[in-house]
Amino acid sequence: MSLVQLADVASRDRRNDHTPLSEDFRLTPSVRIRNLCKSFPTRRSIAQLATRPFARQRMTVIQGINLDIYEGELFGILGLNGAGKTTLLKMLATLLIPDGGGADVGGHDICDDPQAVREGVAMVPADERSLNWRLSGLENLRLFAGLHRLSRKEASTRIASALAAVGLLDVGNKLVGAYSSGMRQRLILARALLAAPRVLLMDEPTRSLDPVTAHAFRRMLRDDIVNHAGTTVVLATHNAEEAFTYCDRVAVLHHGRLAALGTGVELAERFGRNRYRIWTSTPHHSVFDELVRRNLLTTVVRRSDADDGEGVECIVAGNEEVAAEVLRSLVEAGVSVTRFERATMPLSSLIAQIAATHDLERGAAHA
Amino acid sequence: MREARALVRAAWFTAASYRVGMIMSVLGLAAVLLPLYFIANALQATMQPAITPEARQYFAFVAIGAAVFSLISTCTTALPSALDGAIARGTFEVMLGTPARLRAICAGLIGYQLLWALLRAAILLAAAALLGANFVWHGVPGGVAVLTLTMLSYVGVGLFLSALVLVFRTTGPLAAGFLTASMFLGGVYYPTHVIPSWIRDLAGVFPLTYGLRAIRKLVLLGAPIVTVARDLETLTAITALSVSLGTICFYGALRYARRAGTLSSY
Repeated sequence: MSLVQLADVASRDRRNDHTPLSEDFRLTPSVRIRNLCKSFPTRRSIAQLATRPFARQRMTVIQGINLDIYEGELFGILGLNGAGKTTLLKMLATLLIPDGGGADVGGHDICDDPQAVREGVAMVPADERSLNWRLSGLENLRLFAGLHRLSRKEASTRIASALAAVGLLDVGNKLVGAYSSGMRQRLILARALLAAPRVLLMDEPTRSLDPVTAHAFRRMLRDDIVNHAGTTVVLATHNAEEAFTYCDRVAVLHHGRLAALGTGVELAERFGRNRYRIWTSTPHHSVFDELVRRNLLTTVVRRSDADDGEGVECIVAGNEEVAAEVLRSLVEAGVSVTRFERATMPLSSLIAQIAATHDLERGAAHA
Repeated sequence: MREARALVRAAWFTAASYRVGMIMSVLGLAAVLLPLYFIANALQATMQPAITPEARQYFAFVAIGAAVFSLISTCTTALPSALDGAIARGTFEVMLGTPARLRAICAGLIGYQLLWALLRAAILLAAAALLGANFVWHGVPGGVAVLTLTMLSYVGVGLFLSALVLVFRTTGPLAAGFLTASMFLGGVYYPTHVIPSWIRDLAGVFPLTYGLRAIRKLVLLGAPIVTVARDLETLTAITALSVSLGTICFYGALRYARRAGTLSSY
């Protein structure tokens, strides 16, 4: 049994459901999010409860998100810790009730028809606690096969396929308490695959995996679950490389808002364009600090290279015209510039850049 | 009810993995029954006049009381404690993310504990019969029906307590308090009419009062079901009220927890 067979089950289920499939699946939204909002009551100290017992404070976690995720897409939700990724996934999985707005998952509204949503969605939580550690991996899957109302025969087939797919077939009878973190994470994925879901919501699935296993896991996700089975996967992660390399499109969340949306290439092009490298013999010239004070540069990092000598890597606060203004100021200040070139931004820096740009834009909008 | 079966099966495997606990649970029955046997026989002559409307033998009287009380204790505490554990382990939220119906999940969560409690009660009564307790066997079906109704009324209380767990993560002293009051005022070890008059009215609040009295009349005296009609009417009304209120509170609390995002907080 392989994941490909499990994927066939998912495809077959889909055919049995007579779901109309668009010829161009990319045009059929599997998940539609409209102006989704969520806030939580903040926890108050005993002193606050005593002094102001009826005061209510809330912390906004998701603010007016609009998004379409297409069928068969591997969609990344990227954000720093506390950006609202998990909250968004939990709302899509009907585990949380939104405060405002709404979302359709697989054509069903998460507020009006949560039961129908659950029929086609499976969530892979980040939390290993969600397994029963006193049961074997096999028994954990049997439990969830029952919760998914699978017949005994169907359950056996799918359990074997799911365990084989995540490489746990030979340790299926071992207690989960004896599993490593990575094995537990894979078992959680197997549990989600049991349902042959149309939409798979994954919350930091590679968090506990070693680099080699994580790579294999991502390839399996891309090749078998998305490409072969046509499952829509929504992957929440704070690993920019994972999101930009493996996902078709990425939404960057920042402070609960949609800061950016696009393919990895688009986002790198859009947010990485204003990173420049300046080669000069005087990288500590005071004009660099002056340019930061004038808000023409946002970040200045001095570095030296064995081949090219000393340089300055900086982020220009604006478009090419601002870059030209920076160059002119440097020349006028007597800085000898040997090269002035656009630098490729590492993926890991892109998320910080998007967040910073979003903060700047919001600050400007407020001003 | 495939979902409930799967949960009961998983709970059985989990319980079986604690082997010593399971053995102690069965052996504990002897620790309950043997003192009851000796004390009840010693008090037979003293208690005879008081128990006459419900039983002839005091040992059979308390054996029924202890068995029914163990069952209603399970009905009251099984769901709150199962929910508490499932929330702490993070499994409850995951279960809610599956297509399984909420009532099936709840039934599954308490299913194993209830079956185990039923088995323990059956063993206790069978052992009591072996030790000389006289049961009128043709009254047993009626007794089982009344027992089911009594247990259901305490399931309603359990639903209310579960609502507290969902919102506050604790039932506080309510569960223990309600069960203790049920035990002392519901007639587990003595008939309710011997309770001092100033507190006797309070006994009328507890479903156990009506259930236990009816079960004893049916199973120990072999009385026809019409003789317990009034107790049954009251018990049915209390059960309907308790289950309705418990269900409303439970669904309300779950909605609150889904709004507040506390389903996975421990």
